[in-house]
Amino acid sequence: MAAPELGASPAQRHMGASPRRDDASQVQRRSKSSLAQTFYLPQLVPALLLIAYGAVVIWSASLNIYDANFPRHIIGIVLGLATAWFIRNYDYRAFANMSTALFVFDCLLMISPRIPGLGVFGMGMTGWVRVPFIHLTFQPSEVAKIVTIFLMASLGAQYNGKIESLREYVKLCAILTVPFLLILLQPDLGTGLIVLVTGASIIICSGARRSWVLVTIGLIVAVATIAIITSMTPGLPHILKEYQLNRLIVFVDPSVDPGGSGYNLQQSKIAVGSGGLFGKGIGNASQSGTGFLPEAHTDFVFALLSEEFGFVGSISLLALFGWMIFATLELAQRLEQPFGKLVLAGIVTMWSFQVLQEVGMCIGIMPITGIPLPFISFGSTSMVAQCMAIGVVQSVWHFRTKAA
Amino acid sequence: MRAVLIICGCLVLAALAAFLYSRRASLRETFKLDIGNAAPTAAGGSDTSTEKGFHTRLVGLGIFSGTILGVLAARLFSMQLLSSHDYEEQAESNRTRTVTTAAPRGRILDRNGVELVTNRPCLAVAAEPDVVDDEIEMQLLANLIGMPYLAVRRKIQSQNEGAQSKRTVAVDVSRRVVAYIDEHPYLFEGVEVQERTERLYPNGSLAAHVLGYTGTVSQEQLEWSQDPRNTEGIKYNAGDVVGQAGVEWQYESVLQGIRGEQVVYVDAYGSVLDSSSSIDPQSGSDVVLTIDVKVERVAEESLERVIKRVHDSGQPDCLAGCAVAIDVTNGEIIAAASEPTYNPSVFTGGISYDDWERLSSEESGSPLLNRVISGQYPSASTIKPLGTFAALDYGLATPETSYYCTGWWTGFGEDYGQYCWNHDGHGGMTLQTGITYSCDVVFYEIGMGFFYSDNPEGLQETYRKWGLGSATGIDLPSEESGRVPDAEWKWNYWDTSPDDARSWQGGDSTNLSIGQGDLLVTLLQMACVYSGIATRGTIWRPHVLKSVRSSTGSGTVIDHSPEILHSIQEESGHYDLVQAGLSGVIYEESAAQASHFTNMNELVAGKTGTAERAGQNPTGWFIAYVPADKPKYCVASLVEKGGYGSESAMYVVRDIMGAIYDEPDTSDAVDSSGVR
Repeated sequence: MAAPELGASPAQRHMGASPRRDDASQVQRRSKSSLAQTFYLPQLVPALLLIAYGAVVIWSASLNIYDANFPRHIIGIVLGLATAWFIRNYDYRAFANMSTALFVFDCLLMISPRIPGLGVFGMGMTGWVRVPFIHLTFQPSEVAKIVTIFLMASLGAQYNGKIESLREYVKLCAILTVPFLLILLQPDLGTGLIVLVTGASIIICSGARRSWVLVTIGLIVAVATIAIITSMTPGLPHILKEYQLNRLIVFVDPSVDPGGSGYNLQQSKIAVGSGGLFGKGIGNASQSGTGFLPEAHTDFVFALLSEEFGFVGSISLLALFGWMIFATLELAQRLEQPFGKLVLAGIVTMWSFQVLQEVGMCIGIMPITGIPLPFISFGSTSMVAQCMAIGVVQSVWHFRTKAA
Repeated sequence: MRAVLIICGCLVLAALAAFLYSRRASLRETFKLDIGNAAPTAAGGSDTSTEKGFHTRLVGLGIFSGTILGVLAARLFSMQLLSSHDYEEQAESNRTRTVTTAAPRGRILDRNGVELVTNRPCLAVAAEPDVVDDEIEMQLLANLIGMPYLAVRRKIQSQNEGAQSKRTVAVDVSRRVVAYIDEHPYLFEGVEVQERTERLYPNGSLAAHVLGYTGTVSQEQLEWSQDPRNTEGIKYNAGDVVGQAGVEWQYESVLQGIRGEQVVYVDAYGSVLDSSSSIDPQSGSDVVLTIDVKVERVAEESLERVIKRVHDSGQPDCLAGCAVAIDVTNGEIIAAASEPTYNPSVFTGGISYDDWERLSSEESGSPLLNRVISGQYPSASTIKPLGTFAALDYGLATPETSYYCTGWWTGFGEDYGQYCWNHDGHGGMTLQTGITYSCDVVFYEIGMGFFYSDNPEGLQETYRKWGLGSATGIDLPSEESGRVPDAEWKWNYWDTSPDDARSWQGGDSTNLSIGQGDLLVTLLQMACVYSGIATRGTIWRPHVLKSVRSSTGSGTVIDHSPEILHSIQEESGHYDLVQAGLSGVIYEESAAQASHFTNMNELVAGKTGTAERAGQNPTGWFIAYVPADKPKYCVASLVEKGGYGSESAMYVVRDIMGAIYDEPDTSDAVDSSGVR
């Protein structure tokens, strides 16, 4: 920050003496600011750095893990950046009045893997859709996360910062429940939680009353408790799948079953912890590289990253996320329209919660769920969806009415 | 999980901080906190506060995100910087395995370097204990190896090699079997092919009792070797092959090599990726024995032949015997034979249950028993030289004392009369001729003399002085001490009988003086006694180890230094008398017996013996040393239920001497007088 100021001060000192030079510096400033005009750099730069960081991690994973196909990851990045560019040029405000269409589209996305001929079963759930004619599958729930953000923001923005009646609040909550329940059908509890938390965050930011929110949380806790208890009691209907229950049990005490669900958690913690300050270096990850840690390029990618790059690498990753998240919040503060604010709040919540969930799971402070780390994990759908989020932020910048 | 609780606590604190922040940020408004996301929002305030409300809520969202990142960073700090050492150790133990390579056992050689036991490489199939639950896998294995299904099942169930260790299913499997198992790991889960070295016995059963056998380390041996109190022993792993009998057991610490160890890096599936530091296996040292293969072979063949001859000539109970040849100048065992014998190779790769039953049962004549050191017998007349020494030492007789044998002795009165073995009577006798003709009457007199003397146990004292009743301490396991009976022993031994039956009687003393009754000795003890007679008082501790030869490096040889077991003081004249008596046994007692020794260049002195037991064919003894004028070797033999010593054991002794001096017995004269 100090360097550009020092560079600028001589130009200011000679302002009167040399107008040509002043022009030149103004031209330079304009071209500089034109890049800053075109893009919201405080968010774009960390996002691109994260994508580059992810590419390095996936490339190192591809050295040892057959499934980690580096060219495919690059294709995902290119596809994602192209999508981001397209969205950036589209005025996001157009969605503010398209609640119904968004709701229908969201539900269609969520339900699509269940449509015969489209859905593909894999990893214990039906979360993928086969694109006809090309040999590609994608996970619609990743895109649905972004659509849900728009849906909830378009609804919440109507109240202009204060939800007056309980009826309206219940309506919002009910609408959010629909995509959440549809995602649970796949079943994908991890993504479902992201949708729920993201949507809840938008409702709260829309101006819901404290008491309503507290009661809602109480209800959710009660329902979750009942779900767990009935799942654990023989004879009663099991709402949670056995593996989900096991993950919860293992989260409480990983030594219960080191060969099963607890094994992954144990191996992941060993991978992260053994990374030390500077890590073991690219390709030297004995935990992630030689099969002790399964899914080291997708669900447990953070463990791989931590093992190879150590504390320095993992803190750099958190710093990049922090930079991106706070820059996006800063932009949200500067906006006037509630819709933009709420969209950005949703995106920030999504990133924050996904980081909490993904990193937290690798270091044993969150239960294990199979969700990707934004911009880092191998998987093109997630990459494209996260790039869409970049595009949205950039579109908000592009179509801002006035910078605060 | 304490860390998780701390982190949860941090999250709650952060939520509280967010609440406080939001309260301070808009003091004049009504505040409501939504703890759902730790995101405080102000709602329900005045209508003009929309912008302000959004601001507060977004700040709350920022605190929410910041808290998440902060908590994650704190946890990473703790894991990657504070506890990284623990995790590194876990990661290291994850990826490294220690692979051990068995070290070949040392060889066992005879005194001239001829291999008695050596090694050969062998491929074995071993299975985890739980393979027994998979019938299909066991059936496949049975078909592949060509064993009956039940045999495979029994091998895997067997706990011979320890409850946890892999069970050997088959040894010496073909390359085809190995290749098939290696190529189909999914069919044969828990089954592995092991490269081992097996003991090889080039001479079959030769010297089996001296060599002993090897077996998988037993549970007790394993536990003891890993016991912290055991500081010098070898640390075994389950499945290690260790010596279990004979020299293999005695010199285990020398023969057993040092395992090679290599640290390898593996992936999660156990495949080896790379290898690290390695320690090469160090093979065990070779043990050179005092045994001479040539003499040993003759001893065993002769023993077997004599037993077979007696057995076939109407004595079906005659099945066992033993023979030993000692160098009287240093205690070296030149040959040691025990019949019936066994082939130690049945133990390699784990002995089968049937074989074990067969070898350890009494019906088979206990072939595992080394009768030279573990067989206890009455000494019979071979004890007579010691009675002579006793009589002379305690003043009961002089070399000139004369006795008269009528064949029927009534020293304790007519009611307690006893026969000499020669019912016709020997006539006039002295101590020397008493030895030569093995006249029982002479020794009845000595026994009676002790019974009535001030020192009634003088006979026992003399026997013990010569080493009877205590082990010789030979370097072989399972040696027996024998038994020299005395009044105290008899009293305690018959503790359920009436007092008069328990007390020492005159007949006990006369029995003791002719080596019958309760006296028990081993062949080795008697061989030592005759060595002492030959050397005039010096008995060397018998031993089979000649030297240890390091098989690695410079091939250092450590020689075994002999030690004196007993140094016995007797008057020189007494030795002259006894030696002359023993010489007479060979050349004067019977012409037929003499004919077997007059064909040798060396002079021989020795004694026959016939241990009687009611209702059984007597056990024949023969002990001799050679050359009588400059003693070098003592050879002893006994044949269980083989009749008179002169009919059985004598031939074995003569054959062994023939092998030592390369002068085979050419006489076919058979003694018919039944000298004992």
